[in-house]
Amino acid sequence: MLLTTAQFFIQSYVTAQELPSTFKIIDLDGAIGDTQGTLTLSFNLDRNFGKRQRLVAGLGARFTSYLGKNQYYITAPAELTSGSTGLGVIFKENIDANIDTFLIKKAQVNSLNLVVTFGYNVSLKLLLRFNIDVIGFSFGKSANGNYINGSEGAMESSDPTPFNLLLVSDNDKGSLNSEFFARYLLNHKWGVKGGIQFHFTEYTTDTEVQQQPAPNDRFRNKSLMFMAGVSFKL
Amino acid sequence: MKTFIFSIITIIAITSCGEVDDNTPMVPVDDDFDPMEMGTTLIKKGTLMGIGHTVTGDVKVYNSAGQLVVVFDPFSSQNGPDLKVYLSKDEKAMEYLNLGALKSTTGKQSYDVSGMPNLDQYKFVMVWCQEFSVLFGIAELQMP
Repeated sequence: MLLTTAQFFIQSYVTAQELPSTFKIIDLDGAIGDTQGTLTLSFNLDRNFGKRQRLVAGLGARFTSYLGKNQYYITAPAELTSGSTGLGVIFKENIDANIDTFLIKKAQVNSLNLVVTFGYNVSLKLLLRFNIDVIGFSFGKSANGNYINGSEGAMESSDPTPFNLLLVSDNDKGSLNSEFFARYLLNHKWGVKGGIQFHFTEYTTDTEVQQQPAPNDRFRNKSLMFMAGVSFKL
Repeated sequence: MKTFIFSIITIIAITSCGEVDDNTPMVPVDDDFDPMEMGTTLIKKGTLMGIGHTVTGDVKVYNSAGQLVVVFDPFSSQNGPDLKVYLSKDEKAMEYLNLGALKSTTGKQSYDVSGMPNLDQYKFVMVWCQEFSVLFGIAELQMP
C-alpha cells in the first residue's frame, strides 16, 4: 500500500514535467439529484501554465439538458430576493417575505453556454477541474406551474428564460451549470470523471404572477447533484 | 459507452419514478364544528367526486358569524402525498385559495376560509395533491 502510494506521487511529480501545454477534451456527463437530472455534452480547450504546467485555465462550450419532476422554483431577481443588485448581494440574506414559489410539474430546459474552466493537474492522469457557464441561451417546452403565494395560488404557463448570463449571485439570468470534479485519464484517449454539479434553471411565466413587493415573472431552481461521466481527449 | 449512457438514463428513471410516501394522516378526525350553532348559515353545498382517485363525501360551506367555513362530512379519500384543500374558480385550479393541508383521509373536518371570497366565482372545492399537481377529488358548490 505504502509502495503504491509512493509510486503514485513519484509518478505524479515526474509526469507533471511532461504535460502538454493544451488539452482538447470532450466530456459526456450525467448528473442525478432528487427527481431531477442532467445530461451534459461539452467541448473544452484547456491550457496548462505555471512552472510545471499544473495550473489550468480554459474555455469551451457546454450543452446541458435538464429534466426535473415536481420542482420548486423560487423568485429569481436579486432586487427581490436580496433587496439590492450590487456586488454586496452575495453576502445578503434572502428576504423570505419577497420570495414566492412556482411549482413546475415537468421541467425540461436545454441550454448551450460558453464555459470557463480552472483546474490543477495533480499528475498526467489525475486532473482536478472547476468550470462554470458564463453566457448562452436556453430553450425547452413550455411548462405549466402552480404559483403559490401563501394561501393564494394560480396555475400559469411558463417557458425557459431564453438568455443566460453569469453575474453575481441572484443577479444571474437564465440557466447556468457549474461542476467541480476529478478526471482520471485511463489512457491517451479516454478518461472518467466524477464530482458534483451545481445547476440553475430559470423559467419566465407568461404573466407577472408575482405582484408583491414588485411585479415578477422569473423563477429559479438551484440543484446540487452528483455527476459522473467519460472524457475523450482529442 | 452505450452501457454507460443506458446506466445513467436508467438511474434517472428509477430515481424519478420512485414511490412517494403517503403523508396525509389516516386516523379519522371529528372536528367540533357545529352547524346548528347560533349565527351559522348554510350557504353552499356539493358532492365530492373522485377524479382518477377514490374520493367521496359531502361538502358544505357555512357562514359562521362572518367566517366562511368549508366542512367535509361525511368524507373519505384515497391517501396521497401533500394533499391540500383548495377553493377554486374552475376545475383546473387556475386560480384558487389554499385552505390548508387535508387533515385526514377520513372523518368530519372543517377548514376556515380567509377573507370573504365570492363563492359565485370560487365555486369548486378540491382535494388536490400540490406537490404533484394532481386533482384527487372535486365538488361543485351549489345553492342548498
